[in-house]
Amino acid sequence: MKTITSFLLKFALAASVLALIFRYFLSYGIENKAPMIIIVSSVLYGVAMFINGFYFGKKDSEYLPIYDVGFRFHFTTYLIHNTISELWFILGFKSPYEKIEVVHVTTLIWGIFLIIHFIFFLRTRKNTINSLNKEDLFE
Amino acid sequence: MSNEEKLKELLSSWEDTYKKGQLTLWIFLSLRESKKYVDEIKEFVETQSNGTITCEEQSLYRALRKYEHIDVLKHELRKGIKGPERKYYYLTDLGNELFNQFVTRNIRLFYSEEIKKFLNP
Repeated sequence: MKTITSFLLKFALAASVLALIFRYFLSYGIENKAPMIIIVSSVLYGVAMFINGFYFGKKDSEYLPIYDVGFRFHFTTYLIHNTISELWFILGFKSPYEKIEVVHVTTLIWGIFLIIHFIFFLRTRKNTINSLNKEDLFE
Repeated sequence: MSNEEKLKELLSSWEDTYKKGQLTLWIFLSLRESKKYVDEIKEFVETQSNGTITCEEQSLYRALRKYEHIDVLKHELRKGIKGPERKYYYLTDLGNELFNQFVTRNIRLFYSEEIKKFLNP
């Protein structure tokens, strides 16, 4: 079943770039004790990720309307953001004032929301055939 | 509004509703005839329906992608006379069975003597 589409991969690529840029400015802001840089980069990251998801999600749905209540895009975002955050620490790019525990707690709390989203996704699967909404199959 | 104008508007409104859901049937009909690529399917649908069913190429592509995804259609690549390879679509066994059962349950009704006498003007 083709659920990893080309638009999801393009979204993942853009999300990786955005997450890297965000991590850089976050560490830079923390290291230089500049709250404005932290706030602005966080807001811009959130907005850019929303636009990224909206654009590629729309394209993906126009190509093939996979009925997953956005779970594939959410799961991809979760994986990319948290993997890049972990790698940022492991590779030693973090500022001296950052703690790995913050990343772990974020992953954990976000993971709980992801599980809730997954439960909704499993429920919607009952109304699908090969991941397409039964009510939207035929024209 | 004259009766003629009213009739025209009512007919148009009824046809708009009726046509929703017709495209699948016409795509399947065209592929029962032979394997076809998108332009041929479009031409078949528009010609055989006397122009009452029209379809945008984009919506046709989208429908074909969905039907392939649910395994009722497949395609094979064939070289066109000129230009690139084309996707020739055809019904799978599942697609043929789906079409047969749909026609038996929904279309063959109109061939019964009881119904035919009401269809005659």
